[in-house]
Amino acid sequence: MNGRMTRRGFGLLATAAAVSAAAGRGVAQAPAGEPIRIGFSMPLSGALAGNGRPALLAQQVWAEDINARGGLLGRSVKLVFYDDQSNGANVPGIYTKLLDVDKVDLVISSYGTALIAPAMPVIIRRGMAFVSLLGSSTNEMFKYGGTANISPVGRRMNVDFAKGFFEIARGLNPTPATLSIAGLDSDFSNRAMESARWQAREHGIRVVYDRAYPPSTVDFSPIVRAIRSAAPDLVFFASYPPDSVGLLKAAGELKLTAKMLGGGMVGPQVTAIKAQLGAQLNNLVCWDVYAPEPTMTFPGTAAFLDRYRAAAEAKGAETLGLYAPPLAYAQMQVLEQAVTRAGSLDQAAIGAALHREAFPTIIGELRFDQTGEWVEERNIYIQYQGVTGNDLAQFKQPGTQVILYPPQYRSGQLRPGFPAA
Amino acid sequence: MSRPLRLNVGLAAAGVALILILRLIDNDYAWYTGYVILQYVLLAVAWNILAGYSGYVNFGTAAFFAAGAYTTILLTKALNLDLLVCVLAAGLVSGALGLGMGWLTLRLRGVYFSIATLSLAVVLQTLVVNWPYAGGSSGAYTMRPQGYAVFGNYSEFLFVLMLVLALGGIAVAAGIERSRLGLGLATIRDDERAAAAAGVPTLRLKLIATAISGGMMGMAGAPLPYYASYLNPEAAFSLTHTINAMAMTLIGGTQGWVGPVIGATLLSTLQQGATVTISSAGNLLIVGGVLILFVMLAPKGILGLIRAWRGRGDTA
Repeated sequence: MNGRMTRRGFGLLATAAAVSAAAGRGVAQAPAGEPIRIGFSMPLSGALAGNGRPALLAQQVWAEDINARGGLLGRSVKLVFYDDQSNGANVPGIYTKLLDVDKVDLVISSYGTALIAPAMPVIIRRGMAFVSLLGSSTNEMFKYGGTANISPVGRRMNVDFAKGFFEIARGLNPTPATLSIAGLDSDFSNRAMESARWQAREHGIRVVYDRAYPPSTVDFSPIVRAIRSAAPDLVFFASYPPDSVGLLKAAGELKLTAKMLGGGMVGPQVTAIKAQLGAQLNNLVCWDVYAPEPTMTFPGTAAFLDRYRAAAEAKGAETLGLYAPPLAYAQMQVLEQAVTRAGSLDQAAIGAALHREAFPTIIGELRFDQTGEWVEERNIYIQYQGVTGNDLAQFKQPGTQVILYPPQYRSGQLRPGFPAA
Repeated sequence: MSRPLRLNVGLAAAGVALILILRLIDNDYAWYTGYVILQYVLLAVAWNILAGYSGYVNFGTAAFFAAGAYTTILLTKALNLDLLVCVLAAGLVSGALGLGMGWLTLRLRGVYFSIATLSLAVVLQTLVVNWPYAGGSSGAYTMRPQGYAVFGNYSEFLFVLMLVLALGGIAVAAGIERSRLGLGLATIRDDERAAAAAGVPTLRLKLIATAISGGMMGMAGAPLPYYASYLNPEAAFSLTHTINAMAMTLIGGTQGWVGPVIGATLLSTLQQGATVTISSAGNLLIVGGVLILFVMLAPKGILGLIRAWRGRGDTA
């Protein structure tokens, strides 16, 4: 499978991916032979478990789907996974166990940079193909050829991440002139803030407040007070879930107003936080990876969400499935297609296949560059609109998380001002 | 053959035997698991030098451990020094840190001393988070070579290095136990005022113990950047290191060097096994559960149980 894929071939593959995801457990030839074992670690406890558990559930849904479709290369698929406890020090041991003792055929990553990077030396030493989940330029240091990263931030996060926020702000009347930046002192947030500074320079916006706060921060009132004193037009936060809640609560209590507020906040995507904040989210303009808007439906997305939500309901897991689960399912689809294109479990062939052609997935068509990052970043900025009460069902409907950027997925108009009138 | 010599020869023989067994198993997983177990053996033995021998409970294990790890990161980045040199440097840095911390805090006793040591980890973590050259809050990558000298596999080298450090740590702890320093520390543990009144230089002995203990913890942390390849402040300064080192020593028994070795081997093996078997939040309960059991049923640890059992046998 060395030649480039034709348009017709790609169309067939896309249709197959769509049909397979939509069909779920459709009838197919029963897989035969020894199962193909896919090994990975996942944060099922500890700080990252809130995203690790839903991601695992999505991967299990994929395993059920592919086995119902006749398996991978005609063999059934079995997932072999261990809880890394959100602790990177556990990861090298787990991956050597997977490869040496469990003798898995394929490996995928855990969730997030801190849990992906410790696996890399083991992966590189064995020459394994490696599809990772929501890493942040993890391969920049290793420069390993056989990897692909399922993360929409792309290769130039420090530049591109906040682009959408500023593009949306450009539509405000009058054009915003000042900006406040506040964010957590951590890898992801620092890159997000760097991008905000870069974009502010590009758009000629003056930064009037710029601070990073330490991870131990619990009282966000001083930060919000300082921002209020600076009276910026725009407020860009780069925060993690607990801080996002703290910042928005403090903004509400101290009556912080801005023409536009939000940015690279991780937290509002999490189901429990959506339920907690409810209507307080209205008019927040926030980074995201997926929103259930009519402009962002890809083949198989709706079917996957139905299957995921049913499984989550049964297992008592988070039931929206809008953040990590679609990406985790896409991670498995990319692996599946790379193996199918390689036609064997040869790791070099699978690794090469990761960079050759586009991958139709439930989160759209993905294409990876040589470092494994998306060729085109796809940072989505949504605005919460019309949220009432704390009912989670409303977040499953279009119109609640309106996509404002990028233009090709735009599903509504910006409602200026924060908080909502 | 003298007793110390017998012990050292025995330790060396046990180390060689362990390497040969793992080579026969010929499995990378064995090297990785062995490394983690030995790392905790060294941490527990080091913790016991201050807490077990002199009665000063140190909550700053993570600080010394992380200081060692970050010494390696900085020296590798700045001077591209060999890991062996980094380990020695980490011992010196953490030892000096121990000496400094001891000088500032050892006039405190009991819970006040413990709180002061706990704050050391907070202070150091804040320093690292605000130091971009050390990776700051983003963390630092360390590229690991494929092999090292006669070792074709770097995992095997890391295991052997940690084995040598752990056995060295045990030899040092055993040596202290039998030395004038050990006797002095025992008098401090039993009654510091009486010891001082009898002419024991209590502050000097405590400072020596803190420096040795800190140095050993730093050496335990030095290879970590190469083991994990990526290290961020949360992982390096994790309270888990402190809790594990304490729990392992308390479960094994604080009366001598054997207790921490038994406790660390037992608990760490259990944790490693649970990670790849139970594989759920349940394995986090192991340390707490076992510790509660021992506090209730055997407050002097496994060593205490053995001694009690032997004592009953003698009187029967």
